[in-house]
Amino acid sequence: MNPAEIDTPVLIIGGGVAGLSAAVELSRRGLASTVVEREAAPGGRAGEFCCKAVAACARCGACRLGDLLAEAAARPEITLHTAALVTSAEQKDGLWTVELSPQPAGDDAPGPGAPLGERCSLTTGAVILAVGGQVFDPAGKSRFAHGRVEGVHSALELEAMLAMGAIGPGAMAPAKVAFIQCVGSRDAAGGRPWCSRVCCGYALRMARVIRHRLPETEVTFFHMDVQDYGRAWEEELPSLKEDIRFVRAMPGEVTAGEQGPRVVFAGPEGAPVSEGFDLVILSVGIGPPNGAGSLHELFGAAPDQDGFLAEEGPDGLFVAGAAAGPRSLNESITHAGLAASRAAARVGALLEAARG
Amino acid sequence: MPARVSLIWQEAPGLSGLDPAQVALAAGVELDDGGLVEAAVVTVAQERAPRGLQERLAGLPVSWLDLAAEIGGGGDAHRLARAATAVARAAGRAAKGTLPPVYAPQPAQSVLVAGAGLGALAAAWEAAALGHPVTLATPFGDAATPGADDDPQAVGLMAAQLPAQVELATECELIGLAGSAGGFSARLMGPQGESSQGFGAVFLAPPGELAPGCEIHGLNPELCVLASKLDPEDWQGPEDAWLHAAVLAGSAQAAPSYSFAAALEAALALAKRPRVQVSLFYTEARVAVPGAERLFRDCRAAGVLPMRVEPGGLEVRGGHTLAWFDPLLGEEITLEPAVAVMAEQSGAPRPAWLDNELTVKPWDLLVPENPRLAGGKTSRSGLYILGSLRGTAPGAPRRAEAAAATADMHARLTGRVVPMPAVRDQLCARCLSCVRACPHGVPQFVGFGIACSPAGCVACGICAAECPAEAIAPPGWGQPEMLAALEAALAVAPEPKMVLFACGQSGMPAASALSASGHQWPAGLVIFPLVCAGRTSQVLVTRALELGAKGVLTAGCHPGNCRSISGNLVAAAKLEMVQGMLAELGLDPEAVSFLPLASNQTRELAQAVEALAVKAEEA
Repeated sequence: MNPAEIDTPVLIIGGGVAGLSAAVELSRRGLASTVVEREAAPGGRAGEFCCKAVAACARCGACRLGDLLAEAAARPEITLHTAALVTSAEQKDGLWTVELSPQPAGDDAPGPGAPLGERCSLTTGAVILAVGGQVFDPAGKSRFAHGRVEGVHSALELEAMLAMGAIGPGAMAPAKVAFIQCVGSRDAAGGRPWCSRVCCGYALRMARVIRHRLPETEVTFFHMDVQDYGRAWEEELPSLKEDIRFVRAMPGEVTAGEQGPRVVFAGPEGAPVSEGFDLVILSVGIGPPNGAGSLHELFGAAPDQDGFLAEEGPDGLFVAGAAAGPRSLNESITHAGLAASRAAARVGALLEAARG
Repeated sequence: MPARVSLIWQEAPGLSGLDPAQVALAAGVELDDGGLVEAAVVTVAQERAPRGLQERLAGLPVSWLDLAAEIGGGGDAHRLARAATAVARAAGRAAKGTLPPVYAPQPAQSVLVAGAGLGALAAAWEAAALGHPVTLATPFGDAATPGADDDPQAVGLMAAQLPAQVELATECELIGLAGSAGGFSARLMGPQGESSQGFGAVFLAPPGELAPGCEIHGLNPELCVLASKLDPEDWQGPEDAWLHAAVLAGSAQAAPSYSFAAALEAALALAKRPRVQVSLFYTEARVAVPGAERLFRDCRAAGVLPMRVEPGGLEVRGGHTLAWFDPLLGEEITLEPAVAVMAEQSGAPRPAWLDNELTVKPWDLLVPENPRLAGGKTSRSGLYILGSLRGTAPGAPRRAEAAAATADMHARLTGRVVPMPAVRDQLCARCLSCVRACPHGVPQFVGFGIACSPAGCVACGICAAECPAEAIAPPGWGQPEMLAALEAALAVAPEPKMVLFACGQSGMPAASALSASGHQWPAGLVIFPLVCAGRTSQVLVTRALELGAKGVLTAGCHPGNCRSISGNLVAAAKLEMVQGMLAELGLDPEAVSFLPLASNQTRELAQAVEALAVKAEEA
């Protein structure tokens, strides 16, 4: 291998928190990298998340995207191409050659990075796939009536509503809100036999935000089990259970009532109960990167039994963040550090071999 | 000696349509003509300035100003006034002769990893790969001994791969630590007795210990087996009967996912033995680790009986019988198991010196839940706490944590832009306020005065806010230059004047995002960027009011989100004191306030500034 053939030591596919973190971590290790983002602006899913602090920080990590974008912009070792699509990838003599093609981008997309100008081909020593997971589309669970009954929203839609201030004093003030957990998670019959890890955390955080903004609002949390999502939360759970109504039941369906959506679930005696709410939130889970299916096939990344990508693929291919399995923002950031370390070791070994 | 300040205009997105000459005139500074410069304001952040310019200005007092972040949208006259205010503020600071950051002397590059197990080995490996001399001080006789919660195979593999430049100190423990990044002094206790050694960074990763996380008091110890010690081969039912096994996976309190998963593995292994009936007791099925939901299904398919009980709802009778209430059957059930397998949780004892020597009460240096200190970081720069002591789940998360921590360490010890707090020894009263106040442990009292560690400072400025003698400050954040900046900006800002002190982690990124989106700020708003809200002080806020500001807003991080642990709380407390003072004077205490904010809460910031403007208009 000739080091002069390398256009960029590490190529990172995906400009969300995992990809940006990998780039920043590589730069801290003194290595340059190129980040390729499909959308017109970097940030990925995290850009859609609201701050969930009430009296104190709720440790959701949504604010860390801002830090990462600023740091990526300030570090000259990082090149960021937005509106760029990977069209082919091939490996030869330990190097990857990846072809990129430009996508239509808005005139002045916000954030660091610039839209890819023209088709190009980059040769690199290591590739980090940080394409993220895919948020479950609640249309796949038609019995929960998303898009059919007014007042039924996915948790992702709630994030945006809370960020915009659409729920709160002076705006929409629902009297009763229900969260339905495990929509697209822990669902073997639906072909998704895994826990998405983050939904209990985000749902309870958002439930708390709603209760904080609208103390009169009653919030019900339909769930199977409350997963662990941080040590401090374990201690807060008892007080949370006083603040929010925990119902251990997976609702069978959501129907349209006269006043709004109705949730049908098994009551304490086992008989079905139908209860009306103003707002029903579906806590959608994280799935493998389906949309990027052709992408990881391009690189020959091996999916595990659930379809998530193995952390290390063929030579010089690494996976960071939720593409390797459901992860919180904070976990994705740390996980990307590991991918960066492995990629740096790989590039170091390549250069060593070229010299020796 | 107010220096002559030149405005050096660098075009940037968000500055289009502004005439540099007009801005200079309105701000009362000279526009740079390429000639001699005494002090300068540059309209872009330092890292975005061309190299030639940086070289030209080397050694001069310069305010690097991200001007676009402070202007926002509006008409030409409006934007001109806002630009002039921002330039005047930066010029006021530069005129005070603020020198460029003093770069610290070369920090020590050596790294101490104190501990054992996967996290410790991973940190040692990573630090060595980044070229740092590493000492691995393990309490054990060799590097390959795992912690109780580690996978011994993974640890053995990692120990075998340890590079030769890692110096191994066996049977050696860290018993005391002082200093901060680039200049730690560690006390080690080894077979040859106690020794003291200097290091640039320290990783503390004591080996994990396992303890039953959900033990049931009163169960005969002879019945109990720890999940990690279970050998399923020991168990099988007699020819003609079932052997009953109970797996206790959090019946008093829910077990964490990794612990629940280990219990599931034990349950499945037992269920596969001949004539063994397994009952799994738990309050919550914690399956938030990869594969655990599948394992849970496999257990049920293999005949494991899942018994969900209410917290504390499992009773022990006579040391051998388990009793619980089944809500579906509506009756009490009892079981006399032949064996009770206990799920375990990992942890590590917290060394006493950590609290005695490093922590300034009431702060906890660990703050494992602060999102800004994820990846092993602590508030003390250069000290990383990894693994079970931090509460990180065993296995892969520890490997990732070690990688993130070592990258941070490397950046800190080799980074170019590390400011060094300036200490004016002749003014210092040795009151030690800075030593107590600095959350990063940078100023240390070394017997004759204050000395600062070379790579620990993040320029939060909390020391400068606390120092009663104006004797210490990170470069640019001293009281004289900040007051000068405030005075210059408020002299230029149109009425009604207002000040927004904006934290660099929350308020300023939010303001910058609003500006970039064309948000129109009130004309008289002075945006005063800070590194940390903790740099504000009663003096600064009251001075702003004296100089004609009708309102002062400080936007800092939410409690629990401060990179400097308590800068936000300190700022809020100070504003409360100013509010009390205003109320005593018969003035409106609401003229000053603290806004807890995250960098993505632009809407909240815009609303707060709008409310401030409405009040200022009325005042």
